Amino acid sequence: MINSSSSKQVGQDQQATSEPRSPRPKIKMVKSEESDKRILNKKLKDVEISIPIVYGNVSFWLGKKASEYQSHKWTVYVRGATNEDIGVVIKRVVFQLHSSFKNPTRVVESPPFELSEAGWGEFEIAITLYFHIDLCDKPLTLYHHLKLYPEDESGPMSSKKPVVAECFDEIAFPEPSEGFLVRVQNHPAVNVPRLPTGFTLPPPELFVVPFEDANRKKRGDTKDHPLSQWFMNFSEADELLQLAAARQQVQAYLAKLRRQISMIDGQHQQLKTISDS
Amino acid sequence: MDAKDILGLPKNSITQEKKSRPQKDSQRKPDGISREVYALTGGFPPLIPAIEASQLKKRPPSDEKITWQWLPFTNSARKDNLHLYHWVRIVNGVPPTGDYSFAKYNKSVDIVKYTDEEYEKYLTDPMWTKEETDQLFELCQSFDLRFIVIADRFPSSRTVEELKDRYYSVARAMLAARAPSPGDISGHPLVKEPYNVSQETERKRALSMVLSQTKQQERKDAEVLAEAKRITESRMVARGAEESELPVPSNAGPESAERAAIPSDTVSPSANVQHPSAAVAPSTITVDNASILASLRMLRVYLRTYALDQMVQAASSSAGLRTIKRVEQTLQELGVNLKPRVPTKAVCAEHLELRREILTLLNLQKQLQYKEAEGSSYRDGSYGDTPGTPKHLSHGGDQDRIFVPDMNFAGERIGKRDQKRKAPGRLSEAPLPAHKRPRKLKAADL
Repeated sequence: MINSSSSKQVGQDQQATSEPRSPRPKIKMVKSEESDKRILNKKLKDVEISIPIVYGNVSFWLGKKASEYQSHKWTVYVRGATNEDIGVVIKRVVFQLHSSFKNPTRVVESPPFELSEAGWGEFEIAITLYFHIDLCDKPLTLYHHLKLYPEDESGPMSSKKPVVAECFDEIAFPEPSEGFLVRVQNHPAVNVPRLPTGFTLPPPELFVVPFEDANRKKRGDTKDHPLSQWFMNFSEADELLQLAAARQQVQAYLAKLRRQISMIDGQHQQLKTISDS
Repeated sequence: MDAKDILGLPKNSITQEKKSRPQKDSQRKPDGISREVYALTGGFPPLIPAIEASQLKKRPPSDEKITWQWLPFTNSARKDNLHLYHWVRIVNGVPPTGDYSFAKYNKSVDIVKYTDEEYEKYLTDPMWTKEETDQLFELCQSFDLRFIVIADRFPSSRTVEELKDRYYSVARAMLAARAPSPGDISGHPLVKEPYNVSQETERKRALSMVLSQTKQQERKDAEVLAEAKRITESRMVARGAEESELPVPSNAGPESAERAAIPSDTVSPSANVQHPSAAVAPSTITVDNASILASLRMLRVYLRTYALDQMVQAASSSAGLRTIKRVEQTLQELGVNLKPRVPTKAVCAEHLELRREILTLLNLQKQLQYKEAEGSSYRDGSYGDTPGTPKHLSHGGDQDRIFVPDMNFAGERIGKRDQKRKAPGRLSEAPLPAHKRPRKLKAADL
């Protein structure tokens, strides 16, 4: 399937790791760049990779230090659902704030993709995710309503416990390029389905790593993030259980209805034969 | 209005009746012409009266002396100086002056005229000889650019589009040649919107195809269009500014039905009451699903919640608004979030399946109700005492809620959430008693 052009330079042997986070110098392909481009750009069908993310905000009431225009200190962010580093997929995130903020377009170039500000009002924030070019050149926009005030208005506001509003979602890439697949094959932030049988990916040495990776030194995962204690838990298992139970009920009732219908059909038949005779 | 309330009398109703009747009468009675003739014109008074009805009656002015004379006349619109005769109305011995009254209607189109030199300079064309072009222009002049007629009379067989193309390109070239500067003519329609031969031929071909479509073709086309519309909408939402153009039926006609490869049999809109609705529903669902999946794959990236929304919309597209609301109500009763809290691929798939099952459930319920109504009509005819069915039908209100919330056997989590509610958890038992009664009836009668 892939013409593993063995006419590569010797330099490649040094970078035989598939660990995407280790800094790798840019590989220079001297020969057969065309075929490499083809490999890089080759899209795989029926292999959809998905990245579970959580986006939202955490907001602290400033308590005594609160002023009229700065009553809350909040942080809006996008993180991996399991707190893994999503920088392997997302190149940068642009947060579009309310126009009353100075420079309302805030760009975050590296993970953790978050933005902290102080204010008093709730508004909708447009979060635009820009992916690595080899993965997808189209950005994706999420919308999050900034939540500062707790739902239960009656309780006293505490400056210790923040108001948290998070939303779970999955970013799906229906036809990722082979190059990208190789890069994220074993990355914990990315869900890669099982590849079709008999299909093997080319070795990672063939692929050029986006140059930005080499520069990123600080960690991009949010496992030990200062706000991580407030992060909400999203358990797929709970929801699946709930859905399965509901389905069971519905199916049971369906079966009952079907029995009833067939019974009545039988009765109608009888009545018909009786009235006909 | 307040006075009426105080008096407590329905005063207005009586006066309203009286008012409505005279209004109707005045509408029906036309003046000056008989009712039947009035009805011919549509039965309603015209917006602007063309002829005053009163004028029709009183015509003859007493002070004028009218005679009629047989006089010759000429028509300025004619070039041959023909003298004809007609009756002329003479008022007080003075014949009317002026041109023949119909001469002003002799309008013609200004055809571009070119000299031979101009032809040599600007208008030569490999496809057209000068002779042909001259002939064309003669015909255009005599037939006022009625190209259908011109095409009929053109000596060599040329299509209407070719003739039009030649004429308009010549006209445009002449315009350009004679204009002092290109800016002057840039506003002229000949320059702004040049005649496009291929487009025109294509358009006419498509029109004739649409005209000659059979009824079946029309139906197929409508279905394909609906599918295509759905796909475009989902794509447009994803792409934003980018618009995807779909083959318009007039262009593709029967070809699009083949290209789309959607079996028209499964997307039959006719709901067959005999078959259980469940059989029809899955086939339409698979078609919708396939198109949604295809459109999703077209996107390079999408959110799972977006995909779920699309699929839910597709699944409920066949259902009415009330059914959709009932599905949502059922979901809530079952303690399921309308939008899953953790929308992973698996969760979304389960959610979708659940929704479909609920739809099937509602359809079956409706079916059951119909059948029972049928059954009661049977029994009312042949049997006198039918204890079973009326009582069952009276449970109709109860049946709207299939699952009372607080299903205890659905898991502790749900129970915990609904602790504040008073009603204990139980499945609605309404269907069961009726379930048993018909059986007893059967046994007794046999």
